[in-house]
Amino acid sequence: MKNATMSCNEIRELMPDLAAGMDAATAEANAHLESCADCAGKLEAFRQTMALLDEWQVPEPTPYFDVRLQARLREESAKQPAGWLQWIRRPALAVSFAVLMMASVTLVRFHSGSGGDNTTASMTAEPGSAVSDLSALDKNHDLYSDFDVLDDLQVQQDVTANP
Amino acid sequence: MAIEPRPAKTPVASSEEGTSGPQTPQLSARRRVQASVSSVAIDRGVFAMTPGATRPHERAEAVLSGDGLSDAEFMLRVKTGDESAFSYLVEKYRRPMMNFMYRMVHNAAVAEDLAQEVFLRVYRSRESYEASAKFTTWLYRIATNLAVNHARDSRHERPEHMVSLDEPDENTGLAIDVPDGSLSAEELLVRRERMVAIRQHVNELPERQKIAVIMHKYQQMDYREISEVLKLSESATKSLLFRAYETLREQLKEFV
Repeated sequence: MKNATMSCNEIRELMPDLAAGMDAATAEANAHLESCADCAGKLEAFRQTMALLDEWQVPEPTPYFDVRLQARLREESAKQPAGWLQWIRRPALAVSFAVLMMASVTLVRFHSGSGGDNTTASMTAEPGSAVSDLSALDKNHDLYSDFDVLDDLQVQQDVTANP
Repeated sequence: MAIEPRPAKTPVASSEEGTSGPQTPQLSARRRVQASVSSVAIDRGVFAMTPGATRPHERAEAVLSGDGLSDAEFMLRVKTGDESAFSYLVEKYRRPMMNFMYRMVHNAAVAEDLAQEVFLRVYRSRESYEASAKFTTWLYRIATNLAVNHARDSRHERPEHMVSLDEPDENTGLAIDVPDGSLSAEELLVRRERMVAIRQHVNELPERQKIAVIMHKYQQMDYREISEVLKLSESATKSLLFRAYETLREQLKEFV
């Protein structure tokens, strides 16, 4: 139904507020309600439903609400870092960090003690792979560097195969 | 980044409101602070035992005497480390949060836990808080997310339709067979049935309709606020609410 100022759809959108008493009906809304029995009936039914819904009460927060919240906030505050040196106040973290440092130093010393030995690489590289070839080149560097010298050698004519 | 308009004066409700009877709607304390309770809470101060708190009692009084600060302005104070401002916000929204959470999860202990979690999240987010949205919108968005996640996580634990008429009423603390002096056993039974029906039918609404009804009916939030929390248009929120109430009207008509 459509009256001069407000349609049924328009007034139905306002019904939750009107039925809950959160808003007063405007003159336009009242005019529509007076002329539309459907909407007037629906609004009344909504009001009764709202009154029924009022019966749903809820318990009060317990007296411990604030105390528990305080405790959780204290935990929260304790978790927050006070600064970049905060870790040093935590023994477990400090010990872990020290162990990590020692392990790192040991590892570095072990590697430097092996004097750049590339046997590890050659042992793990597959024969014929690029890594293997590079490793072979590196190991025979002295020999290959003399290749030019070998090229310069004159073939000795006076050498007989079977003296 | 607009700060919400400054309210003329925060109304103060009487402490009797906390024990409203069945015929009195439990209005949200969203716009109100209970005078008696708030003063107690400020004395205790949420930060009374928190390391780093600096004389919350005196600071809270100073904050409250700064008359008519908006919640967003209180939150901006929290951001700058004013813990008494946080205590004020907890005090103001403790009960509305508890009400909202209880109606979302139907369990007082869980509701209290979740309501506390809302305030913890507010506190955690204090440094990133921007007053671009209304404080209550932000607060209810946090609360809604928590409640919805809880409902999804505990979907298979205890469906609402299994609510027993034999268990004590969480709302009154009375078992069904314990007369409260004014109601007969039969009347109590009828009341309990109505309560169970209301809880069940609200709970069975589609999720957004349920949230919208709880916010509108029990938290006294207007269409605009609900639409902001649910990230819907105002028109869509009105339709959502109309459909929800229409469903409830139909399903609860035998109790009217």
